[in-house]
Amino acid sequence: MHRRAVFWAVLAVLLSLGAVWASHRGPVPVPVVAQAAGHCVLPVAVMRREHMMLLRRVREAVVRRDVHDGRLRLTRCISCHAQRNAAGVALAVNARGQFCASCHAYVGVRPDCFACHAARPEGVGPGGFGGTVPGPLPVAAAAVMPHAQTAAGLSEGGP
Amino acid sequence: MSGIGLEPDSDQPSEPADATRRKLLALAGTAVALTLAPGVTVWARDLVARRDREGAPRAKVRYGLLIDARRCHTDCSACVRACEQYNGLRRRPGPDNAQWIRKVTVTDPQTGVTRSFPVMCQHCEHGACVDVCPTGASFRRPDGIVLVDKHRCIGCRYCLMACPYKARSFVARNVRDQKPWAPRGKGTAEGCTLCVERVVAGKLPACVAACQRAGHGAMVFGNLHDPQGALAKRLAAVTTETIRADLGMGPSVHYRGI
Repeated sequence: MHRRAVFWAVLAVLLSLGAVWASHRGPVPVPVVAQAAGHCVLPVAVMRREHMMLLRRVREAVVRRDVHDGRLRLTRCISCHAQRNAAGVALAVNARGQFCASCHAYVGVRPDCFACHAARPEGVGPGGFGGTVPGPLPVAAAAVMPHAQTAAGLSEGGP
Repeated sequence: MSGIGLEPDSDQPSEPADATRRKLLALAGTAVALTLAPGVTVWARDLVARRDREGAPRAKVRYGLLIDARRCHTDCSACVRACEQYNGLRRRPGPDNAQWIRKVTVTDPQTGVTRSFPVMCQHCEHGACVDVCPTGASFRRPDGIVLVDKHRCIGCRYCLMACPYKARSFVARNVRDQKPWAPRGKGTAEGCTLCVERVVAGKLPACVAACQRAGHGAMVFGNLHDPQGALAKRLAAVTTETIRADLGMGPSVHYRGI
């Protein structure tokens, strides 16, 4: 009786291990992030690491104090990074496989920006709301963002 | 003033207990005022505005409106439609219906005279919404525009209750297809923004532009604090009033003929 129970227990463990092995598909593939045309306002490595801090900082400045550089705006990010379908219609950046969603799904972090903010550009001009993006931020502008500086220092070895 | 608290106790006993208590209370009041004042920017701005009533220097810009109820047509709602269209509000009767601006028709029961005019956020100098907000989400910009910082809004709806103009609404369901310039989402309070991004860009608010397009010209937008501006000149020339002026909140929206 006792040996029978052990037999079934071992069989159950083996079967579940087999099921896990059969369903295992290897590591989650690193997402292919859609590339926007032109250049970002800050180096890509800085943006990847610091974009959430920058957005938080900018939102305070824009909403409450109405002082901002004008280049770092969520609407501008979306204008550049929203992909367009064959018909030229802008796709939402938080849609499956799109710019924001591809990375955020990979790292398992859900941004709540788009509960309120529009996820696709709208308005006049090819750049959408706010027009086209000017050149990269000067070093002086990055100096007021200590996070950005830190990130630039950390990422000198590569992305 | 700082010396009062450091005085040795031996000086005090000769005074009656009542006087000592009064002195202590006065000292406590001073301390609170001093501690609070430097840290809180919004209050500091408010204090500047309060001094304005007493004739001290005031902010250079305070955006406001003059609405001429005699020119506003009862059957015209161009301003309301323009606001809905520009800010991406959907007309849906019921609890989801956002009212950033609405038309109000009033009739004097004694004389029967009827007036129709739009009412929106009055962008008060001392708004009750700013007072009651527990998180500082309701705030008044230095240029006088009262906004909801939805990053800080917790959806408590105190401002909806507090506003005597019923200018705030609450977003109770998920919102889709917002306009990039008008973020709005579930669980936050919202209200007229005076089209702040248009105003900053030197344009008229959508409602005012629509009223002009409709040919009524019942709304004048401008800087209340610019004596040479069209709005201030007009306000100086004609008799106007504000709604519920008795509440002392100092609305930026003035009405004529109501």
